[in-house]
Amino acid sequence: MGYQSFEFLVFTFVTVLLYYLLAKIFGKRVQKWVILAANIVFYVIAGLEYMPFLAATLLVSFFCARIISRIYNRADEQLKQCVDAAEKKQVRAASKKRARACMMIGILIPLAILIVDKYTGFVLSNVNRLLAVIGLKPVTLFKFIVPLGISYYTFMSVSYVLDVYWKRTEAEKNFVFYAAFLSFFPHITQGPIQRYSRFKPQIENGVDYSGKNIVYGCQLMLLGLFKKLIIADRLGIFVSKVYDGYDQYTGLIFVVATVFYAIQIYCDFSGCMDIVGGVAEMMGITLEKNFNHPFFSKTIPEFWRRWHMTMGEWFKDYIFYPLSTSRYMKKTKKWLKGKGWKKAEDLFTTCFPVLVVWCVTGLWHNASWNYFLWGMYFAMVMVLGNVFAGINAKLPVKLGWKTDTFSWRLFQMVRTFIICGIGRVMPRAPGMRAAFEIYKRTFQNVSLDLFFNGDLFKFGLNRYNMTVVLLAIVLLWGIDLMQEKMKIRDELAKQMLPFRWCVSILAVLIILIFGMYGPGYDATAFIYGRY
Amino acid sequence: MEQLLKLLQDKFPQIDFAAEENLVDDGLLDSVAVLGIIAEIEDAFDVSVTMEYIQPQYFNSVSAMWEMIEELQ
Repeated sequence: MGYQSFEFLVFTFVTVLLYYLLAKIFGKRVQKWVILAANIVFYVIAGLEYMPFLAATLLVSFFCARIISRIYNRADEQLKQCVDAAEKKQVRAASKKRARACMMIGILIPLAILIVDKYTGFVLSNVNRLLAVIGLKPVTLFKFIVPLGISYYTFMSVSYVLDVYWKRTEAEKNFVFYAAFLSFFPHITQGPIQRYSRFKPQIENGVDYSGKNIVYGCQLMLLGLFKKLIIADRLGIFVSKVYDGYDQYTGLIFVVATVFYAIQIYCDFSGCMDIVGGVAEMMGITLEKNFNHPFFSKTIPEFWRRWHMTMGEWFKDYIFYPLSTSRYMKKTKKWLKGKGWKKAEDLFTTCFPVLVVWCVTGLWHNASWNYFLWGMYFAMVMVLGNVFAGINAKLPVKLGWKTDTFSWRLFQMVRTFIICGIGRVMPRAPGMRAAFEIYKRTFQNVSLDLFFNGDLFKFGLNRYNMTVVLLAIVLLWGIDLMQEKMKIRDELAKQMLPFRWCVSILAVLIILIFGMYGPGYDATAFIYGRY
Repeated sequence: MEQLLKLLQDKFPQIDFAAEENLVDDGLLDSVAVLGIIAEIEDAFDVSVTMEYIQPQYFNSVSAMWEMIEELQ
């Protein structure tokens, strides 16, 4: 049941109806049960066979967090009875040791499920390549099923257990609340990667019915459907034609396809976030923001703070910081300092954690060398950015460029877009060799004729579809610009009722008329649903 | 707190630490900068900043950082 499908729309409206209706009859405490029931129905429709994996992660993380909490509480009781500092230290050390063991179980079991399900095929195929090189018989290749949303719910469960272990949040006592969170149907397949501490307060006391929530939620869903059905699915046809048949083309068509791919993936993913955000908003729940107009970013680090924000925050909080402040890192830094290698110490401190984070980021997206290389590419960009930060800041001043101008900011945005675009070729190309072939072919037979001789319309999008998609992109750009400056929905709410109705009906009609349906057309699955 | 303020101003002269209240939330300090501050604090005040404290609210202002140091001491 794709988020853009008619079935999902029906499912959402039935859920929302029951959510408020049953709360009216039995009280708001029933709402968490409605969420949990809807989550189960959604997940069972997706595939009953996925359920045991989700259940295992759910149970392990919930009970480990509970045990950690009990260990800490017991330690607090014991500390009250301690008379000297040495005894207190002993109690703290013992409780930390036990809590650590529970934490390890709580994160390693879900991570092991994720790794075995998602990466077994990748590892075995690479083992076979190695065996073939040394002339040995290959092992039998097999793949496990990859449960829907496993990358997302595993990360959410890990963050919950670690937050309890680090005493950032209290362990949940009510299993239904936690289960409703982890399996929450709007965020389970593509995120956002939420934190339990921010989710729970929103459902803890139930939600009152609010017409505003319903209207705002529907508006957000419409924006998501506009992005997905009118822009992303249309551009996807063009991009697939060029990238999948890369060996037939040369020149600027790859630049056009790569720019289109950037817009496609943005509209696909942020469109999905708008749809699920709208669903949650109808239920009075605000999902965490995953996009903040990333194409307006002026640097690569800024881009990654605006694109898939919850993933970036997760990697920062649960890999980057723990690794950077680990005993191993501190020991190595001390050793480098002792040797008097200040430069090496600085380089190691800033670069090593970045490399690890981007290696994991690449492989988290997909178990393939293309994604690994994509991760390494961004690691390299980040590391070079850190190493040359000083020069980067001084260069425009030395060249006499004015950095407080629109033209400078535009240059920075275009530069960021190009750097990201170069990187995106790797995951999109159908293989590593194809990616390098595409880079090479982009510089062969370069001619601007492509834009004037009608050849652009030979890649799956005729003149009509190309016009529609370009107009839609301009419209979306306008909406994004407005969103940077104001809250559009609040402004719309201030307008007269007939005007508001006209805007809503127009939006629905635009999606119905210009959305990518048609005879035999099957809406493409969301790109991030694969991760 | 004066010592901390001086330490921060020396490391990041472009930031007005005395006036800023949302250093992390407003993007003035990124994750690498926070790491640099943690290293300086650990060296200068002989504390070990644990994961419990590596959260934006403890690095958003000098006073928040100082409170964290006092708690750690």
